[in-house]
Formats: sequence, structure tokens, C-alpha cells
Amino acid sequence: MKGNHYKTIRKIILVSMILVPLIPFLMILGIGYYYFTTSLESSTITRMKRIVEDHGQMIESFLSERKADLDLVIHSNRYEDLIQPEKIAEIFEHLQRNSNAFVDLGVFNQDGIHVAYHGAFKLTGKVYKEVDWFQNVLKQGYYISDIFLGYRQIPHFIIAVAREAEGKKWVLRATIDSFMFNNLVKRVRIGKTGEAYILNADGVLQTERRSGGDLMTKPPDDIQYPAANSGIKSFINTDAKGEKYLFTTTWLKEKKWLLVVRQEKADVFQAPRSATYLIILIMILGGTGIIAVAFFMCNRIVRRLQEVDLEKEHLGQQLIRASRFAELGEMAAGFAHEINNPLQIIKNEQSLIEMNLAELKENGQLKPSESLAEMEDSIDQIKLQISRCADITQGILKFGRQTEYVLQDIDFRNFVPEVIALVEKKAAVHGIRLKQTLSEDTPLIHGDPSQLQQVLLNLFNNAIDAVVERHGSHGGEMEIESGPVDNLKVKILVKDNGCGISLQNSNKIFTPFFTTKPVGKGTGLGLSVCYGIIDNLGGTINVSSEKGHGTTFTIILPAAG
Amino acid sequence: MEKMKLMLVDDEERFLSSIAKLLSKKGIDAVTATSGAEAIEKLKRQTIHVVILDVKMPGMDGNETLVEIKKLFPMVEVIMLTGHATVEFAVDGLKSGATDYLMKPIGIDDLIQKAEEAFEKRQRLEEKIRMAQARK
Repeated sequence: MKGNHYKTIRKIILVSMILVPLIPFLMILGIGYYYFTTSLESSTITRMKRIVEDHGQMIESFLSERKADLDLVIHSNRYEDLIQPEKIAEIFEHLQRNSNAFVDLGVFNQDGIHVAYHGAFKLTGKVYKEVDWFQNVLKQGYYISDIFLGYRQIPHFIIAVAREAEGKKWVLRATIDSFMFNNLVKRVRIGKTGEAYILNADGVLQTERRSGGDLMTKPPDDIQYPAANSGIKSFINTDAKGEKYLFTTTWLKEKKWLLVVRQEKADVFQAPRSATYLIILIMILGGTGIIAVAFFMCNRIVRRLQEVDLEKEHLGQQLIRASRFAELGEMAAGFAHEINNPLQIIKNEQSLIEMNLAELKENGQLKPSESLAEMEDSIDQIKLQISRCADITQGILKFGRQTEYVLQDIDFRNFVPEVIALVEKKAAVHGIRLKQTLSEDTPLIHGDPSQLQQVLLNLFNNAIDAVVERHGSHGGEMEIESGPVDNLKVKILVKDNGCGISLQNSNKIFTPFFTTKPVGKGTGLGLSVCYGIIDNLGGTINVSSEKGHGTTFTIILPAAG
Repeated sequence: MEKMKLMLVDDEERFLSSIAKLLSKKGIDAVTATSGAEAIEKLKRQTIHVVILDVKMPGMDGNETLVEIKKLFPMVEVIMLTGHATVEFAVDGLKSGATDYLMKPIGIDDLIQKAEEAFEKRQRLEEKIRMAQARK
């Protein structure tokens, strides 16, 4: 029942101590994490888009510059000049100086016949009339091809421009170093996995991809690319290997090519992920901290509660004991009172017998004899025993009495020497050294001097008896000490180096009628009377003793005021 | 000199008889009463100098009897006798006019001594009264 009660309290405290800080803690972490990661992600994506935009512009300007180079050549030279091998070589040198992206240069007449060529291959005389690019360039005036193999069987792409003058049409075509173009695109490098590549309208790679994917192959990814002229787009998709990538794309204006910059999602969001780990770590540490503190505090609180309850129980028991003690005192007083009446009669009868006996002896009616002596002895014994009984009843009555005593402030520094004076002689006879240590700051107490005198005398007399029992008439020591416990209490110690009290006896010495003295020597009421007096004053009296070494009585009394 | 007349009041008859016998052996005349009412009756009929009054009695108890005696016979000295001597009890009794206070069990000699002290006190008082009357 009681155990369950503690368990319930423990559970309630524990749950509230964990939940109350943990919920806001987790909420703060969660909200912080959310805002942090979303802002980081959006800034990452923005950065990616800017990279794509810049890169796209760079590629576009590269292509338009190359086209402008050719335009300049075709418009500033006549057909007849251009087809001269020396002239074309000279122009090529010139173009090369401007941009080393050009690989070769050729001139075609309107029938598609390669009339002049400068480059590494023997392409002069070849007919291109039916070829796609040739028809396109005639139609549009310029053309940029996708990567293709052509006659030379190596991947390349061409830029061609056409001019019409003096009734003739001709075309100037240049091959672009695909290796250089490739490097131009591939230069983009973001994080560990960031890469850039170009796809044509059919999704065929126009540049190499660092993560694998050769020129003129279709990457195996099944990706829906955004429609043409849709600007810069950013999306997340899974590639053929199942890796999640962040794609950012833009269509180039100069050519129907799609610039793709992609980075593994894990790589892109490296920072948010690190933040996640950190937050999880904080969560674990913080959570563990909160739970540990909650457990620790909860255990402490419950333990303290148990202690307090135990103390309460203890106090309750003491209260019961005290009330039983009071009851016992009252009972004993009533009992003593009733005993005194018969004692009085016995005493009367005894006196009468004594008197009659004396009379008879005087009259000579009784001769001195052994029987008479015995009888007289018996009468003496009766007298003695009556007075013993009377002592006992008096003791009980003193113990149990609830008298109005004369309360006054008592200063132990003056009071103790007065009491000591009463036992000094007795102590001196038994060779006992008396020592007084009365602290200057012993507070005053409020009590009845005669009662306190009785208490101290009782303790002194007991101490003397104990010392005599152990040491005879040499080597006895007795000490009384007084001093403050705190400002509210006074402590009085009565020490002796006498025979001591055994442990089982020290529990009983304040009980009425308990005595270790020989029959006829003590009534067993002295210490119980002391107990009653000290208790009435709101104090406590305790004993600590070691058999054969000595005894210390400790009295604690409330200070006056 | 006038002889002391003593009255013992107690509900214990054996106490009364034995103490009366003891007193007579000591040469003191003693009247006995077993209750407060009887004591007052007897006081009305004869001259008594000192009353030894038990405190605890059935019916009219010692203190009530004391008050009554002091009201009717202010000159009578009363000594209270009890099995339970407490200071406050004594103070009460002395306030009501008791001369002294005795604790049971008491020896016959102590009792007589106290009674005689009380008797002497009464005699001194009577002497003063006589002298005061003579001066008039």
C-alpha cells in the first residue's frame, strides 16, 4: 500500500520532470532544424541555379563568339578569295590565334561540294549536298550541329555560316575542338559529385560526364527534362543507379542543347545533414541529461519523502509512548495515593504495638527473652519497610505530579556551583575529582530551580555511586559541562568515569522502578523523576554509556526568552 | 493550662480508632469523626481546639469541610492530612485557612508535634484576643 503510494508519486514526478523540459526542448530543436535546413536547402538550390545560369551564359557566349568569328570571315571575303588554299590557311591561322577551339575550316559551294579545306583531313572535293547540316545552313544562314562522327569517324561538331552574293551561295564551316568544348563544360565542379554536361534535344550526351557516360551516348537515366524555353529548373530525381540527384537545367538559346548540372543529393545537402547529426547528438545528450537529472531528482525527492514519512511515523510512536508515559504517571500517582492510607494505618498499628510492648515491659509483664528480642526486631523491620514504602510513594507522587512550579530564569554558571556545593563533601569523601566547565555563553533557561536542583542532585548522586563502584575511593572523576547548542538550546552534560551502564539497561533507566542498585538502596524513581521534570520543561535527557568506562548524561533544554 | 482537645476526621475507621488509642496513650484526648458532616456536628456540641482533617473523603471532602469549619468556627485550627501532598493542594488548603499540611503516612510523634504547634498558635491568638478585650 505504502510502497504503491511512493511508486505513484515517483511516476508522477518522473513523468512531469521529463516531459515538461523535454517537450519544449524537442520542439525548439525541431523548429530550429526545420528553419535551418529549409533555408540552407533553398540557398543551396539558389547557388546551383546561379552556377547553371553563369555556365550556360558562358557556353552560349562561346558558341555565339565562334559563330561571329565565322560570320566576320564570310562577310569580309569574297568567294573567289576564300577558295584559295593560301587564303583559307591564312584565315584559319587568324582564327586560331583568336580561339584555339577551331580544328579545321572549309568552304562549300552551293552544290555542297567541299571546294576548299584547311585541316588535318583530306576532305576537299567531298559532296555534302544531301547532308542535313548543309541543307539547314542554306535554309537558316547558320548552323551549329550536334556531336557527330562524320567522314572522319571521330566525335566533333561544326559551326557553319552561309552567304549569298553576286548570284552565288557559299558556306563556311569550322569544326570545333570537342575536347576543348568538353573541358569548357566539364569545368564545373561542385562538392564531391557535382558535374555539368550537355544533352541534345534527343537526350544524347554532347559532352562527357564525369560520373560516366561517353559522348554521343544516351545516359541510362530515365529523366523527364523540362520542356524547351522553360528557363532554369531545379528538381530532384533518381538516376539509373538509384542515387538521388539534384538536377539543375537550362536550355541554351543558341542551340537546342540542355545544360545539366547535377550533384548527388547527399552531397548537396551535406551541411544540413551534418546539422542533422549534430542535432541528433544534442537531442540524445540533452534528452539523456534531462532524463538523468529527472531520475536523480525524483529519487532524491522520493527518498526525502520516505525519510520524512519515517520521521513522522517515528514521532507518532514517540507521541504514543509519551502519552502512555503520562498515563502511567497519573496511574502511579493514584496508586501511590491509595497506598498511603493503608500505610498510615499500618504505621499506626505498628506504633501501637510498639507502645503496648513498651508498656508491658515496663510493667514487668514481659520478661526479656529471645522471642521478645525477635519480636522487637520484627517491629523495627516493619517500621523500616513502611518508611521504604513511603519513600516509594513519595517518589511516584513527585514523578507524576503536575505542579505549578515557580518558573524563573536560571543561569547555569551560578546555579551549577550551588548544586555542586551540596555534593562536594560527599564526593571529596570518595576521592572524586569534580570538574566544572561552564561556558561563558551558556544561555539562560526558564525553569523551576528546585526541580532542576533535584535533577542535578540525582545525576550527581548516581554518578558518585557509579564511580565508587568502579574505583572505590581513588581515581574517580566527575564533570559537568554546560554550553549552547545553538541560540535556542542549552546543553548540560554530566560525565563520570564510573562503572557505566550496559546497553540493555541504558534503554530502561528512565522507566519508573527500574534500578540496578541493591534492594533497599534505590527506589528506581530518581531518573524517571528527572525525565518527568526535563520533559515538562520541554527538554530531553539522554544517556550514553560504556560498561566499565563511564557514563554521560546529556540534557538539552530550551533557552529562555 | 487548658488541655488540648483534638478531633480526627477520616473516613477510615480503623485509622481513627488506632490513632485515638495512640493519642490517649500519649495523654491527648481525641474525638473522632468519620465524615465532614459528623465533624461539624461534633464541633457544634463541644469545644475542640485542633482538627486533623483527611483531604480525600467520600461525600464532603477535606477542603469543603475545612471551608465550612473555618466559616462556623474560625478559632479552630485545622491541619490537613493527605496521601497526596502536592504544592498546589497545600497552597489551596492554606489559602482556605488550614494551619498546616501533613503527608501520610505520618508518625504519631510528628502528628502530636504538629497538633501542639497548632494548639499553641491558637492559645497565643486567644491570649491576644483576651488582652485586647481587657484593654477596652
